[in-house]
Amino acid sequence: MKTTDTLRRAGRSLRQAKARTLLTSLAIAVGAFTIMMSLSAGEGTRNYSNNLIQSNVDPRALFVVQDKSLFESGGSASTGLREFDADVSDRNGRSIKLMNQEDIDALKARDDLEEVVPTYQLSVRSVTFSGSDKQYSAEVAAYNPDVKSEIAAGSLPEKGVAIKDDEIVVPEGYATTLGITPKDLVGKTMTLTIIQPTATLSEEEARQVIAAEGVEGLAQRAQGETKELPLRVVAVTKQAATSFTAATSASVSANTAREIAEFTTKGTDTYQKYLGVTAKATEGNDPAEVKTRLEKEGYAAQTAKDLQSLIFTIVNVLQYIVTGFGILALIASLFGIINTQYISVLERTSQIGLMKALGMRGSDVSRLFRYEAAWIGFLGGVIGIILALIATIILNPIINNALDLGTGNYLLAFVPWHAIVLLASLILIAILAGYFPSRKAAKLDPIEALRTE
Amino acid sequence: MIEVKNVTKTYGKGESRFMALDDVSFTIPDGVSVAILGKSGSGKSTLMHIMSGLDRTTSGEILINGENVFVKKQKNIDAFRSKTMSFIFQSFFVQGRESCYDNVGLPLEIAEVPVAERKKLITKALESVELGDKARQKAKDLSGGQKQRLAIARAIVNNPKILFADEPTGNLDTATGAVIEKLLFRYAKEQKATLIVVTHDPELAEKCDMQISIRDGKMQYIRGQSEKGENE
Repeated sequence: MKTTDTLRRAGRSLRQAKARTLLTSLAIAVGAFTIMMSLSAGEGTRNYSNNLIQSNVDPRALFVVQDKSLFESGGSASTGLREFDADVSDRNGRSIKLMNQEDIDALKARDDLEEVVPTYQLSVRSVTFSGSDKQYSAEVAAYNPDVKSEIAAGSLPEKGVAIKDDEIVVPEGYATTLGITPKDLVGKTMTLTIIQPTATLSEEEARQVIAAEGVEGLAQRAQGETKELPLRVVAVTKQAATSFTAATSASVSANTAREIAEFTTKGTDTYQKYLGVTAKATEGNDPAEVKTRLEKEGYAAQTAKDLQSLIFTIVNVLQYIVTGFGILALIASLFGIINTQYISVLERTSQIGLMKALGMRGSDVSRLFRYEAAWIGFLGGVIGIILALIATIILNPIINNALDLGTGNYLLAFVPWHAIVLLASLILIAILAGYFPSRKAAKLDPIEALRTE
Repeated sequence: MIEVKNVTKTYGKGESRFMALDDVSFTIPDGVSVAILGKSGSGKSTLMHIMSGLDRTTSGEILINGENVFVKKQKNIDAFRSKTMSFIFQSFFVQGRESCYDNVGLPLEIAEVPVAERKKLITKALESVELGDKARQKAKDLSGGQKQRLAIARAIVNNPKILFADEPTGNLDTATGAVIEKLLFRYAKEQKATLIVVTHDPELAEKCDMQISIRDGKMQYIRGQSEKGENE
């Protein structure tokens, strides 16, 4: 019997038992739907996090630290007492080796790294805006030229270009607090007041100060020096859906950040000590290779890809779990196919006998039943996949709304080739399930079968 | 020509051994109609199964046109059967949920007749049993006589040289049975095919060229072979 005839005959047999075929297929459809949805969700989430990373992190970017334990869980355990090291800082019971200016200079001198910017810890005592004496407190961070920011008012340099040293970018929330429109905020001067901690003077130093500046000078030293940085607001940003950075920080250039950091830490233990640096691999250098070189020299580094794989690992684990449930549903449905096909063989005993009497080979009879199973698998797969597609179309806008992902970001991505591979595997699995009933049909004795009334 | 030589068929072993056929021999020339007569349990159905290769002999052999077909591989036996012979059964075995057209098409699919030739053959077969107008109708909507006519159409669609009919009129009333008989004899005559009718009905047997009577697995008598043999 020709394959096309066998296929057609198999399809016809299934149509003649519509309800049974449909119910058996629906069991497979449940598994197919679950697996398709988990594939879509995995793909969508990976796309979304990719999008997120790409708009926040330059693919060439590296985060370099002195202490590898920062990238691991916990960090080196501390007994509470350790040998003194000026470069090691204790935080929450963890000892973290920090970078000093020498490290920074060494990193800056490398020809495979550029835009080396230490992670400045910025603390600002208060801020004022031109036209008012009212003091506010605000957080300040270094401007990241690689982050796409949506602008409410003003203008920003294009992606990858830093703002000028006397400029500052503020989030939209500031305008709300000030009670003015973002447009009015642009062009105002925002003055940052920073304060240097009191210097601890030795007795001799104190005498020298008194000798030179009198008691007032000493009093001033004891109070700590303050400095005012007038910066011009160039842009008011909206919080972008794909932005990592908190919406509440004002951003200043790297140089200004450095000025603030060094002024506010001068004379303390943390002066020119940094958790790490952000840098970029220079053009033509693979960030992964730069990372390896850095690690040989005792640093630890993370590339944009590392960050990505970290997020992907979480997504993948979740996807495996959901896919696992889908596979369980499929396994259950396989018994459905086996059962249905066994019943079908029993019901059609006389038909099988007749076909064999008319010269149909056992292998062809077996093929007929396996194709029927294949059709059931195909039908179930198509139903499940179409349902998954519909669910994707319906759920995407709802999820987008609920999680406020921003336009064009969908957590469910239907990938046609995934669907095709899934469908093909379902057909294959169904054929395997149909193997036992089809063997029974093939072995049927035509004489016995034709005796059946 | 079908030669049955010393065919013996036993079922079971030891005490429960049962001899269905005991040293049966006869020859059927091409193009004759033969009745295999006997009561139920006489072994006549077993004889038909063995002659058609559905069953194997315990000893003895079947030669068709001088060739011992049924010692070949099952694959070749099946192929031979699909091209050479066909069957009609007492209980029709038409597929109720399929259309008449598809019912008749089955032997053509099995014999791998090219699709282009099928339509002509199926239409011709349906018309010869006067079911030409019912091609698209489901077989279950037919009456008993129509179902058997459909079975005949299915049996003759591939122009078999040997046609086996197992109690073809057993489930039908006399008038309808007569129509079926007429159709069978007409086909055998027109196509010069060998028609082998298994029956317990002496009236039907009388209409055949040859009568072979089986009783308790043994051949009781054979009639009509010589006259026909002379004609050949």
